[in-house]
Amino acid sequence: MNRKFDAYTSGIPQKPYDLLKEALIVLGVIALVTLLLAAVFSSPDFPTVTAKDVAVNQPVAYVETCANILAGNSGIQDYGPPYSANTENAQRLFGIAPANWFGVTVPIDPPTDFILKPLGSVAVLEPALNDSLSAWEAATPDQRQSWTAAYLTAVQTATVQGNAIQLLPGDYGPVPTMMDAMLSLGQAGLLEGALQESDRLPFTLDFTKSLLFFQDDVYSGVADKLNLSGNQWGMSNETGNYPGAWWTWPVVFLYQIPAITNSANADMIVMGIVALAVLVLLFLPFIPFFNRLPRYLGVHRIIWRDWYKKQ
Amino acid sequence: MNITKKAQQVLTGSFSLEDALPTTMPSYVNSVAYLWGATIICSLVILFISGPLLALFGPDWYHFSSIGRFVNSVHFWGTQVFFASMLLHLVTKFFMGAWRDNRRLTWMLGVLTFLVAIPTALTGILSQTNWDSQWVAVQAKDALNAVGVGSFFNTMNTGQMLLVHVAVLPAIILVLGLAHVVFVRKEGPVKPYDSQTA
Repeated sequence: MNRKFDAYTSGIPQKPYDLLKEALIVLGVIALVTLLLAAVFSSPDFPTVTAKDVAVNQPVAYVETCANILAGNSGIQDYGPPYSANTENAQRLFGIAPANWFGVTVPIDPPTDFILKPLGSVAVLEPALNDSLSAWEAATPDQRQSWTAAYLTAVQTATVQGNAIQLLPGDYGPVPTMMDAMLSLGQAGLLEGALQESDRLPFTLDFTKSLLFFQDDVYSGVADKLNLSGNQWGMSNETGNYPGAWWTWPVVFLYQIPAITNSANADMIVMGIVALAVLVLLFLPFIPFFNRLPRYLGVHRIIWRDWYKKQ
Repeated sequence: MNITKKAQQVLTGSFSLEDALPTTMPSYVNSVAYLWGATIICSLVILFISGPLLALFGPDWYHFSSIGRFVNSVHFWGTQVFFASMLLHLVTKFFMGAWRDNRRLTWMLGVLTFLVAIPTALTGILSQTNWDSQWVAVQAKDALNAVGVGSFFNTMNTGQMLLVHVAVLPAIILVLGLAHVVFVRKEGPVKPYDSQTA
């Protein structure tokens, strides 16, 4: 070693050491362990949940999701930045709302982007749908609200006949035609493609709209069944009996504390605590008492027990 | 100042071949606690072999072919071993007070490497293109949006997540990790508390 280290360890006996041999042995053991674990236990790979899965297996839940988005009830509707401009919903900590600092960088208008645009793209194939979209566009906000509210009530007792949703008679305006078209789009497996409509086609690497579409009830329902919800330590779990991202336990633990998780600013509180913990860990060598803690704890006496025996 | 001369002095003057590849060690270096740094590097080697294979052959290969699934599993378990090693390394170095005697920067570089590894794992989950990617993308976004990061780091933009996972963050881990190892080798292992050197 260098002269500085030689001076540092002056008087301490040295022993022969072969770094490369040790490295090769450790590499061999780690490779063997990893290959064995992979061969025996494989890895989590639960298939994606597609719009087609939902439209075919849960058609009523599917059109209810669509109608709620059209009615402006989507969880993204008033989310604020980065999706929309209404900044009043941003989470705050000590009055600071970083969510608002960079504005709307991923603009999304759920009724337009999730329902009207996909329907508009298939309306060329379906003249009746064109008429319904025109009727929707021409209606007043109150009229639209009345139609979607009536539809959302009626859909609770709806039945499915073939591929169509059967509702009790009522004044739903063009909404049933629009929802049936959304259902057809989903059952044909074309919804995600319609949602990915962009100026960059045929290329797309961004699946924000497809993923946000079902994030509310559908994804939450699937996650609940797979023990992946937030109150089930969801972010640190993976599907199946696998260890998951256990290194996020300290963060996910904070979301299990009712006083935090019930707060409207839960994420900001958790992130604030995490930031503080990170700073303590990073600057531990400089923090009085903490930087001397290992000496008091005495675990070093176990780690260096052979050395202390000889002292 | 001649920057090149200064660089030569730094490289040759303070970091010898014996520092990089030591053939002797102080006798107190005799514990399993010294093993975890090596297991971190070795599991990283596994990840840096299996990861490019996954990237080269793509999602259809690692989802639907048996060899692809196996390589994906190697990457998964390599990650588990990597994080287990990181945790053991961090905890044992804490109990050893490994930042003593001017090793503070070494500690900080190690902590920074650990911190960068966490988003690397997150972007890996988001790049899998399975249900876990779907669910974690919509779940993780809220905390990131709340702190403003979501404005330029979109968990649902799979192209962005994949690039960050395979290029940006591994490069940062390599640089930080390499700097950490250079400091570890240059400073040598810290002495036990209350060492009597005579």
